[in-house]
Amino acid sequence: MSILPQLIANSLIAAGTYALIALGFNLIYAATKFFNLAHGAMATAGGYAAFFLLQSFVGINVVLAAALGVLFAGLLGWALDRAVYRELRKRKASNTVLLVASLGVFTVIQAVIAMIFTSQFQTLSGGAADSVYQIGGAAVTETQVIMIAAAVAIAAGLGLLLKKTLLGKEVRAVSDDEEVAKIVGINTERVIGWVFFIGSAIAGLGGILVGFDTGLQPTMGMSLLLRGVIASIVGGVGTVYGAAAGALLLGFVENFGIWKISGEWKDAIAFSLLIVFLVFRPQGIFKR
Amino acid sequence: MLILETKDLSKRYDGVAALDGLSLGIEAGAVTAVIGPNGSGKSTLVNVLSGVAPKTGGRIAVSGVALGRITASDVAAYGITRTFQEVRLFNQMNVMENLLVVLTEKNVFGAILERHAEKHARRAEELLRKVNLWEKRSELAGGLSYGQRKLLEIARALASGADIYLFDEPFAGLFPEMVKIVEGVLVELRREGKTVVLIEHNMDLIRALADRVVVLDGGKLLAEGATAATLGRREVLEAYLGE
Ligand SMILES: Nc1ncnc2c1ncn2[C@@H]1O[C@H](COP(=O)(O)OP(=O)(O)OP(=O)(O)O)[C@@H](O)[C@H]1O
Ligand SMILES: [Mg+2]
Repeated sequence: MSILPQLIANSLIAAGTYALIALGFNLIYAATKFFNLAHGAMATAGGYAAFFLLQSFVGINVVLAAALGVLFAGLLGWALDRAVYRELRKRKASNTVLLVASLGVFTVIQAVIAMIFTSQFQTLSGGAADSVYQIGGAAVTETQVIMIAAAVAIAAGLGLLLKKTLLGKEVRAVSDDEEVAKIVGINTERVIGWVFFIGSAIAGLGGILVGFDTGLQPTMGMSLLLRGVIASIVGGVGTVYGAAAGALLLGFVENFGIWKISGEWKDAIAFSLLIVFLVFRPQGIFKR
Repeated sequence: MLILETKDLSKRYDGVAALDGLSLGIEAGAVTAVIGPNGSGKSTLVNVLSGVAPKTGGRIAVSGVALGRITASDVAAYGITRTFQEVRLFNQMNVMENLLVVLTEKNVFGAILERHAEKHARRAEELLRKVNLWEKRSELAGGLSYGQRKLLEIARALASGADIYLFDEPFAGLFPEMVKIVEGVLVELRREGKTVVLIEHNMDLIRALADRVVVLDGGKLLAEGATAATLGRREVLEAYLGE
């Protein structure tokens, strides 16, 4: 039996995960022009919020718990923007200052999660076996199918939102020229608030699905963040299509890259891809 | 009535006094031309009045209300809009969207579902036809020609429905037929009772369009008054000849 179908499936699953992080990361970058490293912690927070609900309210509907986890991550991202980034913007902080602040926020959120939930490995599925489907010669779990479907649906939905709604136009206006957006009467702070809510909620969903797929750990945010950042840069920072394309490419390169070698090389392969792009095509696949 | 007033207004860029104790008044419902040699502070005046550059001293009043400071976020609420000497559009958006993003109501629910879409689309069409860009409505603003970009920026200013229009050299670099369009826009604004501040170098256009003239030199007020009389004053002629 060929290993190829499984490799393709694994690539798509990985791409789905990365896309769920990269989409929000890129959206936030488009509006604010800084690398929000705390974005990884939104995934962790979403995962643990769902975990908390499933633990505290035995018998709670799983979908409801996941939805509330997503909402929590979105609100956390929004509040973070309000409390930290917005204040820094008011003080005309540079993007480097915002980046460093976001790293600080990331560390704090990760530490708080570890304090509340311990550093122990947890799973959202509570040990219940996931249904496994055989699709074209590859074994894929229900969670993984949801992961891929969610990534595709959200990428398409985000594209539509940006293209068709007023909020989308306002986001693109802020992304193009924030000062002119203000002058023509766009409430740029409100727009950025929405962007943080939406982007963080998507990351929260990513964290929850990872929690069902492989499990939760307070430190999980960093590796998700790195994959999201690499996918964003490779795809083209600040664009929806870029995030999706970058995630897809990264997923395939990683999984096909370890075909003949040990899986421990995954990180090295991911960063090699990043370096290749930074050197030869720094604007990414889709140039803004 | 003075709709815009500055008192001892100053703006320093480290070392350079771009505006230097400038006190002037802009009449409501009139077209006021701001003239002066290159580097005399005309653009800086518009930048300060539109919150793009924070003033470093002095006072500004809009409709008689003194403002502590004026930021880019408040100018729309004060009924002020502007264009830039170096055109600034939303380049990733198409021509139509550049207007729709300004026209559509800015409330929370309207943000999700674009309400009154038809009304806004009609207004956008009207404005684009006025500046002869209707055929280009689906093209990216970033891909337009220089003159078309200037016209779109003017249409976007009109879309704001402001009372006060600050135009920074709207005619510069335009073909004659485009100049005609912009002239038409200014005449119409004046007829509607709007206030226009027009930075312009071409004296024929100023004589044809402006009710009043403000002359700047070195960030200071050199002269101010009705167009014909002010343009005829000796110090004004000298400032231009000495350029
Ligand atoms: N952002 C800036 N940083 C530093 N100096 C500036 C800046 N903007 C303007 N200046 C300086 O302020 C002075 C006035 O410039 P301003 O652009 O207002 O002149 P202007 O009258 O609009 O000239 P022009 O007719 O060439 O457009 C000039 O000396 C200019 O170099
Ligand atoms: Mg100028």
